[in-house]
Amino acid sequence: MSFARLGLWLLRRERASGEWRVLLLALIIGVGSVSTTGFLGDRLKRAMSEQGASFLGADLLVTSPRPIGDWPDLAVTKSAGTASPLARSQALEFPSMLAKGDAFQLATLRAVDASYPLRGSVRIADRPFAAGTARPAQPPPGMIYVAPDLLPLLSAKVGDRVQIGEARFTIAGIVAEEPGQLGGVFGLAPRVFMRADEVAKTRVLQPGSRVTYLYQFAGDPAQLTAFSAALKSRLDSTQRLIGSREGVETLRGAFANADRYIQLTALISLLLSVAAIAIAAHRHALRHYDQAALLRCFGATTAQLRTLYAVQLLTLGLLGSLIGVAIGALMQQALALLVLPDAVTRLPSLGLAPVGAAVFSGLLALAGASLPALMRLVRVPPLRVLRRDLPPLPVAAWLSAAISGSALLLLIAWYAGNARLIGVFVGALAGLIVVLALLARLALAAGRGVQKMSHGPVRFGLAQLLRHRFDSTLQLGAFTLALFLVALLALVRSDLIAGWRQQLPPDAPNYFLINIAPAQQQSVAAYLSQHHLKASALYPMVRGRLTTKNDVPIASTLPPDARDANSLRRELNLTWTATLPANNAVLAGHWHGDRRVAEISVESGMAERLHLALGDRLGFRIGDQTLAARITSIRSVKWDSMQPNFFVIFAPGQLDALPASSIASLYVPPDAASVLPSFIKMFPGITVLALDRLIANLEAVFAQIIGAIQLLLGFLLAAGIAVVIATLLASLDARQQEAVLLRTLGAQRAYLAKSLWSEFLALGLLAGLLASACAEIAMALIAQRLFELPLRLHPWLWLALPVAGALLVGMSGWLTTRHITRVPPMQSIRALN
Amino acid sequence: MTPPDSAQFPDTIVLARDLSQRVPTAGGMLDILSEVGLAVKAGETLAITGASGSGKSTLLGLLAGLDHPSAGEITLLGQRLDALDEDARARLRAGRIGFVFQSFQLLPALTALENVLLPLELAGRPDARDRAAHWLDRVGLATRATHTPRQLSGGEQQRIAIARAFATDPEIVFADEPTGNLDADTGARIIELLFELNASAHTTLILVTHDDALAARCQRRLHLVAGRAREEAVA
Repeated sequence: MSFARLGLWLLRRERASGEWRVLLLALIIGVGSVSTTGFLGDRLKRAMSEQGASFLGADLLVTSPRPIGDWPDLAVTKSAGTASPLARSQALEFPSMLAKGDAFQLATLRAVDASYPLRGSVRIADRPFAAGTARPAQPPPGMIYVAPDLLPLLSAKVGDRVQIGEARFTIAGIVAEEPGQLGGVFGLAPRVFMRADEVAKTRVLQPGSRVTYLYQFAGDPAQLTAFSAALKSRLDSTQRLIGSREGVETLRGAFANADRYIQLTALISLLLSVAAIAIAAHRHALRHYDQAALLRCFGATTAQLRTLYAVQLLTLGLLGSLIGVAIGALMQQALALLVLPDAVTRLPSLGLAPVGAAVFSGLLALAGASLPALMRLVRVPPLRVLRRDLPPLPVAAWLSAAISGSALLLLIAWYAGNARLIGVFVGALAGLIVVLALLARLALAAGRGVQKMSHGPVRFGLAQLLRHRFDSTLQLGAFTLALFLVALLALVRSDLIAGWRQQLPPDAPNYFLINIAPAQQQSVAAYLSQHHLKASALYPMVRGRLTTKNDVPIASTLPPDARDANSLRRELNLTWTATLPANNAVLAGHWHGDRRVAEISVESGMAERLHLALGDRLGFRIGDQTLAARITSIRSVKWDSMQPNFFVIFAPGQLDALPASSIASLYVPPDAASVLPSFIKMFPGITVLALDRLIANLEAVFAQIIGAIQLLLGFLLAAGIAVVIATLLASLDARQQEAVLLRTLGAQRAYLAKSLWSEFLALGLLAGLLASACAEIAMALIAQRLFELPLRLHPWLWLALPVAGALLVGMSGWLTTRHITRVPPMQSIRALN
Repeated sequence: MTPPDSAQFPDTIVLARDLSQRVPTAGGMLDILSEVGLAVKAGETLAITGASGSGKSTLLGLLAGLDHPSAGEITLLGQRLDALDEDARARLRAGRIGFVFQSFQLLPALTALENVLLPLELAGRPDARDRAAHWLDRVGLATRATHTPRQLSGGEQQRIAIARAFATDPEIVFADEPTGNLDADTGARIIELLFELNASAHTTLILVTHDDALAARCQRRLHLVAGRAREEAVA
């Protein structure tokens, strides 16, 4: 028989052993965790790649804040004789209110022509969440297609009539699928398709209204290349040209970052599993020194033993990884349903690539955790058959450390991807381990006091906890980490948004009015005062792009990592006013007041990000005009004040000539909410943004993301339990000996059971208390540093976590060790011999 | 003791010359064996006796190639052990040497039959399973084939160990205190079995014991006192 087969034979015989089971369990948990995120990430990535051109709805897309008139000739190519002109489609996108009866909702309207989309398809269904049929996105006259989430918000159904601006439309269908859409994750303003030729009759669009013109092209690649080359020189900085690949790449880049962080969260579970595996492998090796010595005695060489144990390990590794992958495949669907409830059916099916990655991770983790123990096993001297006290020949400590260290580092590198993230992750992990170990040691020291005061089995149980100090520290650390992260997420979810909402004054604005045309300003003000509604000042708003600093392109003045700033990539909302807005404070320079000069005030965060200083001259491109102004003040802005806030405020007189609409915020008390429908009817072109609803939407998105992370933390909790079981198994022989001694001396089974329960309950309780303390501290830091919220304690946490910890550790500990209370002492003695 | 010369012993199966074993201890170097010489012919039975700590098991381990001496040479089955490394010594043992231990050393996860099967499988015997069943029958435990060691008494476990030692038709069987963990009656039955099988298989048997009755069953007796050997006449 070959040693490989012998290894499998022995493995089959020993499959019921505690160590193999724990090792397998830990591996399944770890691989389950990483494959869950691996599978879903892969499905999303493939969804993006597969969509390709259909992602944009075209091969080429040009976006512009205003119409573009002078297009290059669409059919200019060198082989003009054969080429047909590029296909083209034009659309408008703008926010507007939809109203039905007393219900109203902000939506994103896309007004399309008959040829939209040029690539990919739009599917229209007659009821929510049905698959629908592929149809042109342009509805018949007088009709619109709406996103499914809009219907409940308006209490509407297909066939109902809704108001947009001054026109009424019939909901003719539901958008089940459209290019570029993966799901309704950020469905803050649901999509509505309408006819481009019916925009005018809504009278929503006024000079200065927020609108994006979308020009789409499709056709022969060579022609497209020539066309986009000719086009590039004509576009200004407010206009963007996006190729289909580029469109996907942008999204994929953003996604890759998010995916990386989620994968690293999943990796924590795998790393915790590594601890359980290492402990189980160590115990397995210890218990197999005699076996290895016997096999050597029977003539097995080192290489043959190596083969035997490697085959066993590889088999377990593959088995555990594949079961883990299977669990991951199930869990990723749950995760997908949490994150992308609407898009799950449209995602591609499971791919094979993540299977390879997860199995590789599992084997690497297993190798790193168990090779040092198995290396000792093959170095057992055959003489041990005669002298059982003989230990294996030592394996150099540096070699063990190097093997484990490099395997773990490789694993982290694989998931983190770049050196900086590897560094941050390893650093954070090391810091966390040190802090948790210190805390666990402190808690155990405190436990000593309790132990002294207790008596009987409780005292004995607590003494066990203190005696196995290394084990207890590890168990406590692992479980504290899992409980802490679970609790922290729950707090973030329940506290942050609620806390932030609570600290707002009761009459903080709860609505924004956007797109107020200059001609409407007076009547809006009159309406509001007539209904005793408290509004902020009206701020005129024009959109413009920051292009230069001191007459050189601003990007060139910045270090490479700052060039990507958001304020450079998009148009800014610019306003002008003589009065410093409430919730703003000048930090440097002087407020320009009512001097009609080319001066601006810049928000301090933006000034910092873009390296701006007092006296700098900033150039803006607004529409087809450019203008410049000098920074004379830098302001702090209280962003969460619910007032209209601006990065850049001009002195009066600079922007007057430009088409502007105004914005204001408004407090509508709950008993006056019925005013709004009549306001919308009276001013149909004005966009009314309900902050409550917006925040509720954000909360829902937040809850989805946190739900997804909590699902991953379920793996972490399971890995924590695996660590507890592995350490208990490792001490099982010693415990059994003690139990035998105690029973021989007359201790009853109940005494042993009580001592075990006190030990595990105390461990779980301590972990819960430590986790509560960590969660409170972390939450206080997050709330105060990031959100400037007042300190809040959570008494329920101090009850819930210790109880949860005591239950989980208590149950898993008891199940692992209970048989030592049941076996008659004589049988135990024989088993130990 | 005069070191034997292999030329003088053409049918010698185990030959030791000037064997010494020294180990470092907290109190300096400790001599466990000093200049032990020994020649065992094929088919002979030899008892190594002596008080606890006299170096019996150390000598057995050296002769079986499980350890290497601080000084001296051993020739086992015609091969000089000092010329072989650990793995080459293991290959030399495979299938040619059987062992019986005081603590039985059965693998707890394997059944009685599988424990006997193990060395046969390692030696690559084609009829391994039949042979294992045959030897289990020889030691009277055919009905316990599927039992694991935990389900067997000490005497039964040692019988399985004996079946395992003889199953590969070894040229030598080394036994270390084979009755040390057994009561007197069981021990006596085990001794009977061991010598009966040894006689029928014509195996060389080298055993370590401090049991005079057991030593008396052997043809030769080597008595160790503080690491020095003296061959004694068998009573």
